[in-house]
Amino acid sequence: MRWNSRTRCAIVCLGFVLLFSAFSFRLIYLQMIKHDEYAGLAAEKHVIKQPIFAERGTILDANNEVLAHNVPVETVVADASRLTNIEATVDLVSNELKLPRAEVSEKLHTDRRYIVLKREVAKAIADSLRDKLRAQNLRGIYFEQDATRIYPNGLMLCHVIGFTDFEHKGIQGVEGSLDEYLRGQDGYRYIEHNRAGQELVLYRGQERAPRNGYQVHLTIDLNLQNIVEDEIDAAMRQYSPKKATIILMRPQTGEILAMANRPAFDLNRRSEAKPEQMKNRAICDLMEPGSTFKIVAAAAALNEHKFNLNSYIFCENGLWNYGGTPLHDHAAFSDLSVKDILVKSSNIGAAKMAVTLGDQKFYEYIRRFGFGERTGVELPGEIPGLIRSPNAWSKISITHIPMGHEIGVTPLQMATAMCAIANGGKLMTPRIVKSITTGDGKTISTLSPITLRQVISPQTARNIGEALRGVVSDRGTAAAAAVPGFTIAGKTGTAQKVGPNGGYEKGKEVVSFCGYLPADNPQFVGFVVLDDAQTKSEQNYGGTVAGPIFSRIAEKAARYLDLEPHEEIRKAIPVERVALTSSSRH
Amino acid sequence: MSRSRRNWNEVNAASLARWIVLTGFLAVTGLSYVYLTLQLYHLGDRKKALETEVANLRMQNEVASAQIAALTSRSALQRRLKEGYLKMIPIAEHNIVRLTLPARNPDDAIQPVSNQRVVR
Repeated sequence: MRWNSRTRCAIVCLGFVLLFSAFSFRLIYLQMIKHDEYAGLAAEKHVIKQPIFAERGTILDANNEVLAHNVPVETVVADASRLTNIEATVDLVSNELKLPRAEVSEKLHTDRRYIVLKREVAKAIADSLRDKLRAQNLRGIYFEQDATRIYPNGLMLCHVIGFTDFEHKGIQGVEGSLDEYLRGQDGYRYIEHNRAGQELVLYRGQERAPRNGYQVHLTIDLNLQNIVEDEIDAAMRQYSPKKATIILMRPQTGEILAMANRPAFDLNRRSEAKPEQMKNRAICDLMEPGSTFKIVAAAAALNEHKFNLNSYIFCENGLWNYGGTPLHDHAAFSDLSVKDILVKSSNIGAAKMAVTLGDQKFYEYIRRFGFGERTGVELPGEIPGLIRSPNAWSKISITHIPMGHEIGVTPLQMATAMCAIANGGKLMTPRIVKSITTGDGKTISTLSPITLRQVISPQTARNIGEALRGVVSDRGTAAAAAVPGFTIAGKTGTAQKVGPNGGYEKGKEVVSFCGYLPADNPQFVGFVVLDDAQTKSEQNYGGTVAGPIFSRIAEKAARYLDLEPHEEIRKAIPVERVALTSSSRH
Repeated sequence: MSRSRRNWNEVNAASLARWIVLTGFLAVTGLSYVYLTLQLYHLGDRKKALETEVANLRMQNEVASAQIAALTSRSALQRRLKEGYLKMIPIAEHNIVRLTLPARNPDDAIQPVSNQRVVR
């Protein structure tokens, strides 16, 4: 069959039509049906979601002194598949980053595409390495922006501030408890890059700015903290105790002005710290408070009108058999007023007050003072203490608990209870955070003082305060805690240490002093506790060890806070501190 | 004369001009498009460079702030004091002048220990 020219032409045209139809169909298939799939694949190759890291918030003290902030650093990473000259790169990197050559060589002689060579490289070192890599035309080494947390004061306030892990997550102290506020929120940006990995700004996609972390302002005053740290260090040198804690609080508001513990650690070298050094003993150590706890028994008895301040109680001349167990005083007291029971720290007197109250009532007051529950301070790891309910008490518990035995309290609970005496009977929630602001100073949250409850009446608090003034006098157990020019109220405590197998360890004591100044208008409450101070046993008492430490702290703090000395007292008392007397015990 | 006139094609000047204008317009449009696209790339690169520069400056500022904070921290100043680089003279009692404190609202028991200025 011979086709004429028209037929041949038609066949060729038909061929073209079919061919282009096939192309068109393929084009439509690729462009419309498979569009999303291939667009996704293309985007995977060229579009990346670039994170924009939020800056972690700064921690400041009450005077806006910086306690924790960030320093930009870089992480040096390598892509082994892109290295052009491995040996030269190994030499340069190990030299600049001060890394062992063998370690770098081992890391780079792989085919991994993401190798972290070193984290937290200072910007100057990173810049130098970058320049040298460029000069030698070496490829495959990259730099990632990062930040590290710096604590300018090192060891000071370490337990309160806490620290972050390498992912910048707060794991201790305020860094941990307020991580949610400090952390901020990372932003992101979709970018396209060319074959060389450079961003094509023209095709920049969706973007969300980061929200930097908030600034946290603490109630801590670094000037007072410094006074406390100096004194706790001096106490460690003088007495070498196993542990020591000092707390300063403002009684009217519950603000913690200073908090120091030993042993401690340098926040900038936290990787070297031992777990024992990291414990904030003010909130997570149990201690038997000893005689400082007598304020609870006395306050409860006065508040229930069982006695008044001048009621006399027979103190059995120093030995009282109760429930078949002898209870001793450190001296043979006969009749003592309630005031003198606190001044002389009579165990028998305090026990008789508690017995008069009864188990249930006494227990109720212990709980009202906040013992046996967490104070609610904004620090992680706080323990509630150990207070058994009366049905678990032995027959003699009612005589031992008033002198601070058979119970476990934290130093912060003890300081908070003394605040309640100092402020007219109100139990305040201790606070460490003053406010939270944005980076430019806009206030997000201001934390107001929280009154938990009225524990005792203002009159009872005044009466107890009056008795506690006597403690810091020549007649009392803490003459050495006096501060020239000021009236001090306080209570000493000396408790034998509980051994690991139960029972008390002979010759090992926990000595403490809790007091406030000025007694008639308290500006701060201080609590000093030393665990197992190394001194002569006849001097190892709260009044002789912890009292003088409180005195030195209170004197410096009063000067810093510009508290005006009482004129009459200033004239009456010579500049030297009151000398120790034989009654300076317990 | 008449022969040579026959060999010349007539040119429609108006049509030619129209085509020239149209072609020119298209050429200018195309070149403008290319130029503006290149400008966009160029400005994008410039923007990126400026962003990098700002980021670097910010980083330098942060490093400097960190150094200032470290050098003026209490611990650092006390170390300098011990080393003898700084000296402090205690204020004598007779040099202290106490002013009468303003009356304070009794409900506001909070004693200000810090200034209230806003930082940063």
